[in-house]
Amino acid sequence: MPDRVILCIGTKKGLFVAEAQKTRRSFALRGPFGSGVAVYAALIDTRGTPRLYASSCNAFFGMKVLRSTDLGKEFKETKSAPAFAKEDGRALANIWSLEAGDRKNDLWCGVEPASLFRSSDGGDSWEMVPGISNHAHARKWQPGNGGLCMHTILRDGDRVHLGISTGGHYLSEDGGTTFTASNHGVGAGFAPDPYPEFGQCVHKIARHKDAPGRLYMQNHGGWAEWDGPGGPRPDIGVLRSDDYGRTWRSISKGLPSDFGFPIVVHPQDPETVYVLPLEPTTRTCPGGAPAVWRSEDGGGSWRRLARGLPKKESFFTVQRDAMDMDELKSPALYFGTTTGQLWIGRDDGEEWSCLFDSLPPIHCVKVAVV
Amino acid sequence: MTIKIHVPAPLRACCEDASELMLSAPSVRAALEQLERSHPSLYRSICDETGTVRRHVNLFVNTSHVRDREGLDTPLVPGDVIMILPAISGG
Repeated sequence: MPDRVILCIGTKKGLFVAEAQKTRRSFALRGPFGSGVAVYAALIDTRGTPRLYASSCNAFFGMKVLRSTDLGKEFKETKSAPAFAKEDGRALANIWSLEAGDRKNDLWCGVEPASLFRSSDGGDSWEMVPGISNHAHARKWQPGNGGLCMHTILRDGDRVHLGISTGGHYLSEDGGTTFTASNHGVGAGFAPDPYPEFGQCVHKIARHKDAPGRLYMQNHGGWAEWDGPGGPRPDIGVLRSDDYGRTWRSISKGLPSDFGFPIVVHPQDPETVYVLPLEPTTRTCPGGAPAVWRSEDGGGSWRRLARGLPKKESFFTVQRDAMDMDELKSPALYFGTTTGQLWIGRDDGEEWSCLFDSLPPIHCVKVAVV
Repeated sequence: MTIKIHVPAPLRACCEDASELMLSAPSVRAALEQLERSHPSLYRSICDETGTVRRHVNLFVNTSHVRDREGLDTPLVPGDVIMILPAISGG
């Protein structure tokens, strides 16, 4: 029986691991691992003996991948990190996503500049996936403020969804051999064509593992006031697809802002989805009062969840991978802030409290019950 | 032509904790090429995939930054010391 809740918290200054009993009354913190080096991606691989992985983005000496086989008491570098071939001309700038593959030691990794790598030996060696990394669009993608990153990898049998900022949503239906831009209904506020074939600034994509046809997307919204060519583009920020990502439609109505970074789906209910709206100009909490918003009807309506969160004078940002949810019967949400706070929203986000309030700026939060 | 490479502490895990490596090379470029073969993880920490020295890594031959000499083509003579130093940056 699962008996521990493990949190991986990637920060500007390394990886922290927090552990609690299932009651989640208190969490014990350890770290930082990869001390002093930014961590943008983490994975808690619960297949068999759990393994923890984290990227380590060393500004001096390049990218490393950290691996722990003892639930984050100790981490060691894998034998190598993803790397482009010398003749490719690109150089790895960051690792933005780590996901488990099919077999025990299979890993998938999304990097900057936006490309996909796979490992079949637990991260010791890596191979580039050419179908997307050398896609005809790849050299036309543009970096967003966070860099040209592949931040989302969702897999469902032979179906692979990728989220790229700024590249959009790409879909493979042959296990990752070939990919097609699949952005019908995904808007772009920063391009002359409001609905281009590709090039959207997708912030994050999420779905429930047992409802693979239903996808949710936090896109780069905040274009309702745009007065340039093409006119305003309201409500392009929060989207839903019911056909495996082939078409998308807005579910932003009722939110205070359609701008934000993370989007999370309830572990037991594909209809329940969470976002954390931010003001588009500052990328901070609307009115200085942070809140998670929950929809229990697939985005048809939204409810504000803020009990226990600051009511004013709070201007942090929550980055794209900095919100996650555990899979306990009464699940808790977790989000980390750019001001170094780690919040827990117990009882499905109804009651919030701060677990740690002085960590370094937080880039990613992953949780698992092991 | 034996020269010495001084390895900074953060990179010694790439070379079995050695603080110094001895090798024979006529230029900095040739020394790095040897490192790529003998210690690929150390090499990758100094240079990216394109072979470019990483932006925040400085290479010195004795007391001279290679950019003030002939870059990676800076010649080496026996007894030279290549120092790998991370730049002073961060926040």
